[in-house]
Amino acid sequence: MLLTLGDSATDGFGYTPHVVLALYLVMLLVIGVVGLVRSKQSEEDYYLAGRGQGWIVSSLTIMATFFSSFALLGAPSMVYKDGVVFALFALNVPLAGGVVYVLGSRISRIGRAKGFVTPADLLADYYGSPVALRLLVTLVGFVYAVVYIVMQLQAGGFLAAKLFGGDDAFTIGVVALSIVTTLYILIGGMRSVAWTDVIQGGLLIGGMLIAGAAAVAAVGGVGPFFERVSELPPEALSFPGVTGSWTPGVLFTVCVFASIGSMIQPAQWMRYYAAKSSATLRRSALILAVLLTSCFLFGVMLVGLGGHVLYPVTDENGQYLVEARPGEQPAETQTSGASVERVPHDKLKGRVMLPHPSVGSKGNEFDQVLIVVLKEHAPSLFGPAGPFIVSLLLVAILAAAMSTADSNLHAVSAVLTRDIYDRFVRPDASQRERTWVGRSVIIAATLAALGLIWLMNNRADQFPVFAAIAKMGLLAIAFTSQLIPITVDVLFLRRGTRAGAVAGMCAGIAIVFLFTPFFGMIADRGGEPSGALTLLDYLKKVFDSGAWGLIANVVVFMIVSLFTKRPDAGRVREYATLVGDDSSR
Amino acid sequence: MAVVLSIVFFAAMFMGTGWGVLLVNPDVNDPDAVRTVCGLPVIYLWGLLWFVVQVVVVGLAYRFVWVGDDDDRTR
Repeated sequence: MLLTLGDSATDGFGYTPHVVLALYLVMLLVIGVVGLVRSKQSEEDYYLAGRGQGWIVSSLTIMATFFSSFALLGAPSMVYKDGVVFALFALNVPLAGGVVYVLGSRISRIGRAKGFVTPADLLADYYGSPVALRLLVTLVGFVYAVVYIVMQLQAGGFLAAKLFGGDDAFTIGVVALSIVTTLYILIGGMRSVAWTDVIQGGLLIGGMLIAGAAAVAAVGGVGPFFERVSELPPEALSFPGVTGSWTPGVLFTVCVFASIGSMIQPAQWMRYYAAKSSATLRRSALILAVLLTSCFLFGVMLVGLGGHVLYPVTDENGQYLVEARPGEQPAETQTSGASVERVPHDKLKGRVMLPHPSVGSKGNEFDQVLIVVLKEHAPSLFGPAGPFIVSLLLVAILAAAMSTADSNLHAVSAVLTRDIYDRFVRPDASQRERTWVGRSVIIAATLAALGLIWLMNNRADQFPVFAAIAKMGLLAIAFTSQLIPITVDVLFLRRGTRAGAVAGMCAGIAIVFLFTPFFGMIADRGGEPSGALTLLDYLKKVFDSGAWGLIANVVVFMIVSLFTKRPDAGRVREYATLVGDDSSR
Repeated sequence: MAVVLSIVFFAAMFMGTGWGVLLVNPDVNDPDAVRTVCGLPVIYLWGLLWFVVQVVVVGLAYRFVWVGDDDDRTR
């Protein structure tokens, strides 16, 4: 997400946005203090809130953690760019809901019985691999959490820039967001994170639905909205979308692995441990599947379609605006200074498509569409309450970013403290020491994330490796997807072995790494097309990278498990009993 | 019942987000292709249809399958 600094989305709203934002941040800090008052000085309480979360808190904290700023900015921008095909992405949410119960309830039962806190506690215990598997599980959890912390804090900075304008708004936004988020996690742990997620989840749901309603109203109501939508270019109303990216294989695998991978990342896994009972997760699953998918299909996705109508990406001749190639003529210069060309749809391949000039002037500015729709149309739609509602919606975007950042900061603290410090550095540390180490990790992780954001925005040319982190959203999920085979094996099958689990994870992680920008940098031979990169580009168009990693993971896991020793029979029986599969061997 | 619901759910995923969409996908190059029904884009309607199937499956699982799988007995 890139927003133009110095251009405020709330011009003419007076101090309403400042007041709304200040109230929101103060409320978060108050919740942090209440969480502290209710807490006990133990590691388990700090990370899992005493394992007593009811269904309202569980469902909203799972929901808020599941959706980052992508829900309000990314999703509508994808529909705005690619057309109605991306609305189908919403169908991944019911699967995520199913995962909450089907996997979550079993994880919860085992965790409660054995006092587990992190994913590695369970997986390493079952396979009897206290070092190798624990480190691999910790690694994928760490990668996921770091990428999401950086992305969300940065999104908060861009939003602050858009809200208030000015040269320093981005920096102030990132730092203020980091300070407030860190403070309430530090003082209240999981209790504060989950309770603030309730507020943030509520804002997110309301924001998604109101934004959709605003987009429909801006076009003139339900009838005119769909009438205008039906007049969009044919490629915006068909598969695989305007850019041709969403082939059936890619959309299907992204939907499957985005939902399952997101639902077994460490922050969610810890929410299953923290739930009061399986009945809690059962209700949470239903709410997630029905409510959140509805928010997508009947809310925020309509913003993307409305954006298509209000701010067309084609001109009157049906030609698309693309970034001009250096040195190529003819090119025209926009008022923003951008050098552009117009091409028909069949010449779009390989070009950087641009949004309508009112939305943005760069290829990565499609995700301003929601903010532009709100800024241009909401004040007149909502009358005198317009500034307040628009401010609330913009705070909802901030809430989406904060709820993901806080959950991942909290999870990275648990993972590093429990899986590294407690196991390998000071196994005899007291509960109090562990809690304080966890808090120190949160501060260190926040400072590291701020450092990365600074490097990404100021030294990207010298250190392209840092700029690449921002492009790793789906790849982070591809990494956590590598937990799926061993998780399913422990919870349902119990036929795999320690060697198989370790080898499968290594294979899956290695394959996913090939799809990261980091491998591209290693394999890049100065502009000359490399065979490996060409093959990877082709594979990316067939399935999502997580799917390729998973195929390698499962094959290696199964083959190695066939020839190696299974976990102790007593432990296999114990886990079968804990999950209720008493007849399983 | 759990197996049947799982199969129906994944069939809905396949039809709604995978290759099943090609059954209703309007041809970009065909000016007479049906792109909307009752004013709604065909693909959006197709997604809604499979969302309803998913919700019914999750609702049935909630009501009939997941209930007997509660954790009180393992406590």
